[in-house]
Amino acid sequence: MEEDLQDLYENAPCGYLSLRADGRIVKANQTFCRWTGYAPAELIGKRLHDFLNIAGRIFYETHFAPLLRMQGFFNEVALDLVRKDGGTFPALINATERTDAEGKPQFIRLTVFNATDRRRYERELLKARDELKTLAATLEKRVAEAAAKQLRSDSALSTQREDAELREQFIAVLGHDLRNPLASISSGLHLIQRSKLDEQAEEIIILMQKSIVRMAGLVTNLLDFARGRLGGGITLTLSALPLEPVLRQVVDELQSIHPDRIIKTDFALTKPITADPMRIGQLFSNLLGNALTYGTEGKPVTVIAKTEEQFELAVCNAGTPIEAAAMERLFQPFSRGEVRPSQEGLGLGLYIASEIAKAHGGTIDVTSTPELTCFTLRMPLQR
Amino acid sequence: MTPPVRRDIVPEVLGRLGGDVLALVRNNVRTAGTGPAAMMFAHGFGCDQNMWRHVAPAFEVRFRTILFDHVGAGGSDLKAYDPEKYATLAGYADDVVEIGRELGLRDAVFVGHSVSAMIGLLASLKAPGMFRSLVMVGPSPRYIDDDGYVGGFTKQQIGELLDFLGDNHMGWSAAMAPMIMGNPDRPELGQELTNSFCRTDPDIAKEFARVTFNSDNRADLGKVTLPTLILQCSEDIIAPTAVGEYIHRQMPNSQLVILKATGHCPNLSAPGEVIAAMRAFV
Repeated sequence: MEEDLQDLYENAPCGYLSLRADGRIVKANQTFCRWTGYAPAELIGKRLHDFLNIAGRIFYETHFAPLLRMQGFFNEVALDLVRKDGGTFPALINATERTDAEGKPQFIRLTVFNATDRRRYERELLKARDELKTLAATLEKRVAEAAAKQLRSDSALSTQREDAELREQFIAVLGHDLRNPLASISSGLHLIQRSKLDEQAEEIIILMQKSIVRMAGLVTNLLDFARGRLGGGITLTLSALPLEPVLRQVVDELQSIHPDRIIKTDFALTKPITADPMRIGQLFSNLLGNALTYGTEGKPVTVIAKTEEQFELAVCNAGTPIEAAAMERLFQPFSRGEVRPSQEGLGLGLYIASEIAKAHGGTIDVTSTPELTCFTLRMPLQR
Repeated sequence: MTPPVRRDIVPEVLGRLGGDVLALVRNNVRTAGTGPAAMMFAHGFGCDQNMWRHVAPAFEVRFRTILFDHVGAGGSDLKAYDPEKYATLAGYADDVVEIGRELGLRDAVFVGHSVSAMIGLLASLKAPGMFRSLVMVGPSPRYIDDDGYVGGFTKQQIGELLDFLGDNHMGWSAAMAPMIMGNPDRPELGQELTNSFCRTDPDIAKEFARVTFNSDNRADLGKVTLPTLILQCSEDIIAPTAVGEYIHRQMPNSQLVILKATGHCPNLSAPGEVIAAMRAFV
């Protein structure tokens, strides 16, 4: 049997529409005419819009027309066609766009499928889906409640871990950026100090210096903390340079911003020590800073440094003793809150100090009695 | 060794640590071009930044072009959808302003299609100095007819549209790829679907339609004094010619250009004509 192509076009089991680039119909087959109730001549020159309800028109213009222009086709678009008698003809439409060599649209071909039964089926499906949703929601609620506890603790853990990593990166970046402005403020202050100042200005400058030293300490601790956590640990630059000048400088620095406090020093460094002087200075600054902050005002802070079997550096102050419960967490990062409420700082100082001690193969021990609280660094003389 | 510090981590961390997510990320902002001035393109209801694929590249020589997706469309962060914020066009305008601020925009050209023409207008009022001129493609300050005003739709017709969207059976067989958006954990579904442009989340699209087609920005038109180009299509059922003429009358510093292009998306159907009109304007 020879296929009659003319008849195939006209009476195919689907509707055919050919549109000009401007969207006007130039040709439609018999099937389309039969489904919609129009005579072929009535269709020519009309637009697809003319057979759509308002929602379909808006949707076609905002969704499907752009899609057709962009990818040259669309598939399985569900639209309700309005028949000549006003009835609805649910359709599924595929389209292809033919363009010229420059990509300009030449004409559009549409294939229209009868989707009456399918649409009914979809509605049933939707209805069933909604019913199922209601059922599932009830079930989910119960399951969710049961699993909530477990889930909460699990996910909290992994989120915590991720957050911690990000936080450390963040701190590292911030630390870098915080240092520079601080350095400029500090050098500015030094410049101002060279000129003649009245008493009040001097006082203010001392207060400002105090803040800068505190801030610089915090930033340094932050950076070390972030680095330590990033896997690099505390890095040392070892040398045999005498430590005493470094210790004295720290004492002078802190004394200058705590002019009303007494710092007693007893230095007996007779043997050479291999260490990172900068780091030891940082550790000492953290310990001495703590002693001045937490120690009772009016009572001296004592510093003892000696070299016997090993290098020992003790910083002692009078004041409320550290509670036994707090002792365990003392060297943990961010532990300040539990240890001593209402004090400023991040709670990184002791953590960093203990990391520096560790890097030198040493330890920091704490003794705390109602009379005296002492932090003592003990480390080998040689590494 | 200490690993190198990642500077690009800061926005991410700010987001994670409770700060606001960057608008540049939220709205999937893409920039191209090297020009000294900036030109920002905003898509309308129904599509995403792909809408500008034939127009934006033409301006990359003279302008730094900025494209983005409204929240709910394309590659935007669907989690950022806040029904309260986006209950009016002002919420979308806030996003435009935030993007502009993050990019440090001054004296840029705003090009908005369809509802985004009004979003841009609102943004220009919120952030004076950010935009020096507006290009409106198929704009409408109000879609529903009103006493003495022709918007093109009756209240009932818009109601039908919203019901139709609520029914959402379009989303079932229309394959406008809502499934791609609905199943981010099953990307293989996306590969099967052929209609891969203009992705929109169906639920958000429904709300966007409600906000768009119920919007009324007629009172805002007169507040804008920036030079404005109105590109009006022929036979646009969404924004009829009467609407373009109305905007032109209300905005003293505007030019109205009637395009030969038909339909609502001349940026796709007649990009050449759109580009020519825009070039003459900027």
